[in-house]
Amino acid sequence: MVSVRTKMSSPPDKPETFDLLRVPGIGNLLRWRHARTLLQIPLLIGAVAMIAHGLLGPSLAPKNLATTLSWVHFRGVLVLVLLLAGNFFCLACPFMLVRQTVRRFLRPRLNWPRKLRNKWLSAGLFVAILFAYELFDLWASPWWTAWLIVGYFAAILAVDSIFKRASFCKFVCPIGQFNFIASLLSPLEVMVRNHDVCDGCRTKDCIRDRRAAGPGTGLVVIQRGCELALFQPLKIGNMDCTFCLDCVQACPHDNVGILGRLPASELTTDPRRSGIGFFSRRKDLAAVAIMFSFGALLNAFGMVSPVYALEAWIGRWLHTEREAPVLGLIFGLFLIVLPAVLIGLAAWLARAAAGTRQALVPMTVRYAYGLVPLGFGTWLAHYGFHFLTGLYTIVPVTQSAVASLGWPLLGEPRWRLTGLSIYVVQPLELGFLILGLAGSLLVVHSLSEEDSPAHPIRAFVPWAAVCVALCAAAVWLMLQPMEMRGTFGAA
Amino acid sequence: MILRPLLTLGALLFLVGCHRTLDQGSGVTIETDILPRPVRTGPASVSLKIMDDHKKPLAGARVELEGDMSHPGMAPVFGEAKEAAPGYYRGSLRFTMAGDWVVLLHLTLADGRVLERQVPVNGVGSH
Repeated sequence: MVSVRTKMSSPPDKPETFDLLRVPGIGNLLRWRHARTLLQIPLLIGAVAMIAHGLLGPSLAPKNLATTLSWVHFRGVLVLVLLLAGNFFCLACPFMLVRQTVRRFLRPRLNWPRKLRNKWLSAGLFVAILFAYELFDLWASPWWTAWLIVGYFAAILAVDSIFKRASFCKFVCPIGQFNFIASLLSPLEVMVRNHDVCDGCRTKDCIRDRRAAGPGTGLVVIQRGCELALFQPLKIGNMDCTFCLDCVQACPHDNVGILGRLPASELTTDPRRSGIGFFSRRKDLAAVAIMFSFGALLNAFGMVSPVYALEAWIGRWLHTEREAPVLGLIFGLFLIVLPAVLIGLAAWLARAAAGTRQALVPMTVRYAYGLVPLGFGTWLAHYGFHFLTGLYTIVPVTQSAVASLGWPLLGEPRWRLTGLSIYVVQPLELGFLILGLAGSLLVVHSLSEEDSPAHPIRAFVPWAAVCVALCAAAVWLMLQPMEMRGTFGAA
Repeated sequence: MILRPLLTLGALLFLVGCHRTLDQGSGVTIETDILPRPVRTGPASVSLKIMDDHKKPLAGARVELEGDMSHPGMAPVFGEAKEAAPGYYRGSLRFTMAGDWVVLLHLTLADGRVLERQVPVNGVGSH
């Protein structure tokens, strides 16, 4: 049974603000009980088409739906929607549609193991996907891309057939963690419209599920509440919110909306969050934030020519021609050594300069979230580049896929269609990076003011230096000539 | 109960995938040569020798060239190879970016047969 208290420290009500659910048309659609299913169906059809084309279609990545949609369009649309709106991919997640269907027949009986109720597993899986992407050149292989999607379906079904609630989303899904972290910068949030209404609410359906008398003697759930343990009146921010809108459906007072807010503002405060706790006490969450921020640089580094020189040098040093150990070392350097040195040094300097007595590790955890805006800017620049420069490539690939079924309904594939010019896209890339840097500087400045009211600038400068250095590295990467190569030996 | 159909579906997908075959051609041999070596960004000449089963040059073919990067979403490049001598064709492509490329040869033979071949060009370097 869920224990429910609303008097803990409810966030203050927002003054009259934008509410997507009150926008005519789209608001009506999203409030509809079957809106999620409606949005999931096209994505499921797309996923099935990608699997089929990946396994049975052309082996050349630019001619295949699996690779083109996964590595050009899906990633690009995902980050842009997160930037401009919120975590709407999780809302329309096709994997969840399959899970729901399977759960009609197979009811999970176990709770997710207590020891795994954190983000360490998902952080590891996030890194594993980045590693596999580089090692197996997933971008160049429709076959492996299709199997990755199949594997994702299988993993969700396996986890959520055994464990109750949204165990996969909250504790396993690497895409979900990416979305949760990125959505900290989103301008929309699912939240309570009026906390007074919640204070007077007796049923708390938004977390407890709405139940009604069933055919037997017991009660049956007719509308589930939040499966990710986010109690709306005490929920703060977008972390762990899949935008599934179950709370919207469950609330008997129509008191939950999708409201506008200042992006990244939730990073500047550290209240106790429902279903999360304090950010500053969550080392696992900080680790995901660090993987997210430094992983953005690493993923971009994998597509420029200096990486091949570095790989060749490490290969000679290790006397190996195998890519896995070389790549492993680069990953260790980017995701463990570099963050440990930069963040540790900044924390030590900030503490010494400001004269605070804060312990290093909690301080490191607290400020790690400050790098998220810059990390998101780097992901936006990278994925936005591929998406915008390859924007129209989906047209000939779809034409070709349809024609291969024997129905050339869409005409001859127009392979010359590509996308926007690199000269248009590059300023946008720089814009995303500058926006990310500005966001990170604002967040660490705000944290410095709160932690060191006597010397906020002294506490701020070391962290600002880390942000500027990382941004400079990202700008350097984006200005490098691209070199998409999967052949380590050729280096 | 639901696991059995899922496992069957997985096995079917695996089997279907394992039986995918590459284009083995139809008695036509194509030898290609791409210069300069190593290939660098910029113009490259593509030479082809097209022969039948008996190593006899096949004249009168139409040869279209297409260069694609291994990463989806990149701009492809196009060209055409003209017949320089019976069975010998020469054309050019302009590699616009360093990295792994695949050159697609779209062939229409004199007898009307249409063939396609892929020539991997890995590790195109930058100047």
